[in-house]
Amino acid sequence: MPSSFIRTFLSKRIFWVYVLSGGFVLGAVLLSLIWSSVSIPVGHVVHIISDNALGWSLIADVPDNEERIIWNIRLPRVLLALCVGASLALAGAAFQGLLRNPLADPYTIGVSSGAALGAVIVIFFQLTIFGLGSFTLPVMAIIGGFLALMLVFGLVKIASRSLAIETIILAGIIMSSFIGAVISLIIALGDQDAMTQIIYWLYGSVGMRGWSHVQLIVPFMLIGMFLLLIHYRELNALALGEEVAEHIGVNVQRGKIMILLGASLLTGASVAVSGMIGFVGLVIPHLVRLITGPNHRHVLPLSLLAGGGFLILADLVSRTIIAPKELPIGVITALIGAPVFALLLIRNRLGKGKTA
Amino acid sequence: MIGIKNLTGGYGNKPVIQNVNFSLEKGEFFGLLGPNGSGKTTLFKLITGALPAAGGEITVEGKPLSGFSKLEKARMIAVLTQEAHVSFDFTVEEIVSLGRYAFQKGLFKSLSRQDRKVIDDVMELTGVTKYRDTQFRLISGGEKQRVLLAKALAQEPKIMLLDEPTNHLDVKHSFHMLDLLKEWQREYGLTVFAILHDLNVAALYADRVALLHEGSFLKTGGVDILRDESLLRQVYEVDVKSQPHPYVPKPQLLMTPEDKEGPPKDHFSRSYRVRQNEGLIHIEFNEPLRTISNGVTGEGIQWLNHFCNFHVNNNYDGGEPVDDMTNWMKNQGIPPEKAAGMMTAVKLEDMVLLEKEYEEIRLLAMVTAGAGNAVDITSEELDSEIGKIGTINIMVFLDSHFTDGALVNACLSATEAKTKALQDLNIKDPYTGTIATGTSTDSLLIGTTQKGERTPYAGSGTIAGKAIGTAVYDAVTGAVRKYEKRQRRS
Repeated sequence: MPSSFIRTFLSKRIFWVYVLSGGFVLGAVLLSLIWSSVSIPVGHVVHIISDNALGWSLIADVPDNEERIIWNIRLPRVLLALCVGASLALAGAAFQGLLRNPLADPYTIGVSSGAALGAVIVIFFQLTIFGLGSFTLPVMAIIGGFLALMLVFGLVKIASRSLAIETIILAGIIMSSFIGAVISLIIALGDQDAMTQIIYWLYGSVGMRGWSHVQLIVPFMLIGMFLLLIHYRELNALALGEEVAEHIGVNVQRGKIMILLGASLLTGASVAVSGMIGFVGLVIPHLVRLITGPNHRHVLPLSLLAGGGFLILADLVSRTIIAPKELPIGVITALIGAPVFALLLIRNRLGKGKTA
Repeated sequence: MIGIKNLTGGYGNKPVIQNVNFSLEKGEFFGLLGPNGSGKTTLFKLITGALPAAGGEITVEGKPLSGFSKLEKARMIAVLTQEAHVSFDFTVEEIVSLGRYAFQKGLFKSLSRQDRKVIDDVMELTGVTKYRDTQFRLISGGEKQRVLLAKALAQEPKIMLLDEPTNHLDVKHSFHMLDLLKEWQREYGLTVFAILHDLNVAALYADRVALLHEGSFLKTGGVDILRDESLLRQVYEVDVKSQPHPYVPKPQLLMTPEDKEGPPKDHFSRSYRVRQNEGLIHIEFNEPLRTISNGVTGEGIQWLNHFCNFHVNNNYDGGEPVDDMTNWMKNQGIPPEKAAGMMTAVKLEDMVLLEKEYEEIRLLAMVTAGAGNAVDITSEELDSEIGKIGTINIMVFLDSHFTDGALVNACLSATEAKTKALQDLNIKDPYTGTIATGTSTDSLLIGTTQKGERTPYAGSGTIAGKAIGTAVYDAVTGAVRKYEKRQRRS
């Protein structure tokens, strides 16, 4: 039967897409560990990781400094890039699905700005919420992001009653500008030292953060990922509109809250550990959808992988292109992401013009 | 199946729907009718739960609807709305698969084999299997609606709620869709509640209908309530005429446009032309006439311009009379769809054509007559041997406005006059020897211009009846005499 043949072919194809994406991430991780100013043989890298992580010693004589570079500096940096990229791309895919709008991402709807404000307040005032310790920063960033999101939605509700897509984007931009001004205000009020620290942090970077930041993001990332991945069917159903989704049995209100919560967790935690890194959440889900189609069952996990791999490579470029100096990673993602996104928009327009 | 009690609700302070009560039986097709703004969609949304009710209660199988979880509800009730907007480039199969949402189990719920089977079945049934891997946004509006129906059927619902399911669909797709629903209703006992904007479609498919007017039910009942013309006029403010469907015992409605007075019409005697030769008498009217006839073509009640009486030889075999006559008309440049035709073996030059005015009723009568097959219809003996020349063809055209009942009256009047003429001429049934009432193959056609005052009567007690009777009597008498004269000569 031809249809079942096509279906097996499709499921085989999607299998290979997963294999390729996994390979892409693994390759990016290895490449990023090996390639830099101090080059270390692959065998040594593998030994150091397996020795430290699993206690399996493969090679006897690996220099101590190599071990320090790989285990204490490069590996946490790569893993942080992986986590942040994966979180942002997944959050972007979820926002796009939820709002039924390919332009939605943590940045365009103001969540990142809110999270940044939360983080800036913590950094500036040296806040520590009792009982949270070092988790104060990500928790405040997540709360900031969620609050910004609620404000945007409130604004849209008042403005248009229905959650019109264009209005959400507009409200997000207004919110971002406003929060940007507040952050500038805080910076202007601070001393020189705090100012440099905050500005550099805002540019976005995954370098010089170490294992502590990986530990900060991982729990939030896992919860956020879990929340979003189990709601892939709700995201698919929402493509029909909220009313129709309700009719096929979706608890739209609860689903929306869970998805927004998950995406805010991912965004807030990412912003808290790495600052503002744009375009990952916008472009990656787009590219994934081009390959797999819009089914969130595949879009979500593949965005996760592709986003992680992409940010590792972007980080690699940012620290090697003008070595020994480093470019902020947000600059790289914007330089790559903006033209790619422009291309996608044009392509989309051309494609629609032909078929409509 | 569904019980609705004192349902009230709408937007803002003033509820659109006020105290609506009704119940749906299991396995029935219930049509909700009403003009725009009567609250159909509001009522629909109150029932689907898209709009919270301000008062009243909805029960499904005896339990209040609010007691069902969303999943339980989705396994029970499927909803098909008008909008067909889908974001992103989902394929048809993915859209249909969404109908199985409420049936999937486990943490990372995926489609079971049973789900796949249902999806394949409903796609096959709705005829969208061939688009399964096509993007939804690329298919046509009718196909989209079928895909959404497939999605709704994939829910394996007991109740289907539809909001104008055939909106934007052409006739073919509308009927396909409704036939399909009807089939599910019959096969699986599906209960259907549908907003229908087309009264005729509702009459054909619904078992019961409700007329919603200004937020409450004006009338609920079988589709025969659609025969109530004054009720429909009140609700829709349009002149409505109820007619029977020719093959289905359901009413069909005809709407009359407000502006029905065209440009001033010709005087009756200038409104037609008669052409006559050996093979054909052709009477052509400028404007179509409302006609009733038992001619070979153009039979029943019609609007026609051309009236033909063809001459055929006595040995015409009559195998395919309708096709033959249609061809003859085409050969003469007469459009068959606008023409009525009779045939006779009588010499056409013996026709009697008379125009007369009787008490301000102008009419034209055309008769060709032969008495060779004269029959006494009251005699029980049946003469199977037909074949002699002898048919009385009568056409009467009046400048009057008749109801359908009056057209039947007119037929009676004409027939009575014909019989009386035969009696006075002492025409006998050659087989029984008694006075004949007609011939075995008589044809009659009454045509009216439908101008002036509408009259429901044209029997013997009316002016119109008298006009027809006297004219037919005179014309038949004249025509039979001409026929007898020719018989004697030969």
